[in-house]
Amino acid sequence: MPSTQTPPIAGSAIDPPSLRPAIDDAVIERVAPSELRARLESLKRDGYAMLLDLGAVDYLQRSPRFDVVYHLLKLAPKRAGVKEIGAPARLRVLCGVEENERLPSVMDLWRSADWAEREVYDLFGLVFEGHADLRRIQMPHDWEGHPLRKDYPMRGPARERSPRPAFANKSNVVAGTPPSGRTLEALQEQVKRARES
Amino acid sequence: MLARVDEVARWAQSSSVWPLTMGLACCAIEMMTVTSSEYDIARLGSEVFRSSPRQADLMIVSGRVAQKMGPVVKRLYDQMADPKWVISMGACASSGGIFDNYAIIQGVDTIIPVDVYVPGCPPTPDGLLYAVNLIQQQIREGGRGGIVASA
Repeated sequence: MPSTQTPPIAGSAIDPPSLRPAIDDAVIERVAPSELRARLESLKRDGYAMLLDLGAVDYLQRSPRFDVVYHLLKLAPKRAGVKEIGAPARLRVLCGVEENERLPSVMDLWRSADWAEREVYDLFGLVFEGHADLRRIQMPHDWEGHPLRKDYPMRGPARERSPRPAFANKSNVVAGTPPSGRTLEALQEQVKRARES
Repeated sequence: MLARVDEVARWAQSSSVWPLTMGLACCAIEMMTVTSSEYDIARLGSEVFRSSPRQADLMIVSGRVAQKMGPVVKRLYDQMADPKWVISMGACASSGGIFDNYAIIQGVDTIIPVDVYVPGCPPTPDGLLYAVNLIQQQIREGGRGGIVASA
């Protein structure tokens, strides 16, 4: 059974806040790239002292294509008192960006954004303006392409042509998905078939 | 006379195959197990896992080799003094295993020569012991390379 968190491929607007339940107390909000920096700055002033994680999601056929997600945490304001302890506020800020769009870096607000932004740059190819040292962090420095993009050939650009063994296509790989690469066409084909049936 | 000395040297060599302390992934857990009293790799004279490649005779590639790890493994192999042997432990080290993707080197034998391949995911500690046995056999008989450790 598919997870309730899985966005349907044939769905029109893949928008996590409308599809996914909030995880416990997490509040989700969506911000435009132009307002992102101001919003995050005000959240920081508001007491969100911790940037737990910064990631991205590639929705490929959606526009804007990527979502950059900021996971923020505000700890309970008071130290004393049992009731206050364990009641932190969580906030997820989503920001939709296109492939060539640039986002402002938040490295100066939260130091934890440093490596996280490098990771998003490395794996998704999104550029953060104002980052002091935007290098690859996971892949080798001379790597080509950004592996977590949905249209990246799964077996890597160099091995694209070698055939995939037949048994590998039978497991959890959706029928009709090509061995590697060309994922966009396969997804579009799937959407088309779903609409026709 | 020379033949006899040669035999003694081989006997000594095959009875003290010291592996390099190097664990790459989950196979490394099974590799550590062979040093326990249950399996006791000391019976073969290989209990001394060396932390320096310059003192090691045997490299056990215990797990998948990431593209980024490849140069490191190659460098460690180059730093080991001759004569040296390599065991490719498990499906991932031997062929990439289930990781048929951009990030994993499809078989460590594409970057360094392998003497014994141990099948399994992960192989049992017995499997690894048997591979060390085969390495010893190779040393005593003077052969090299490309053996699959299967029963």
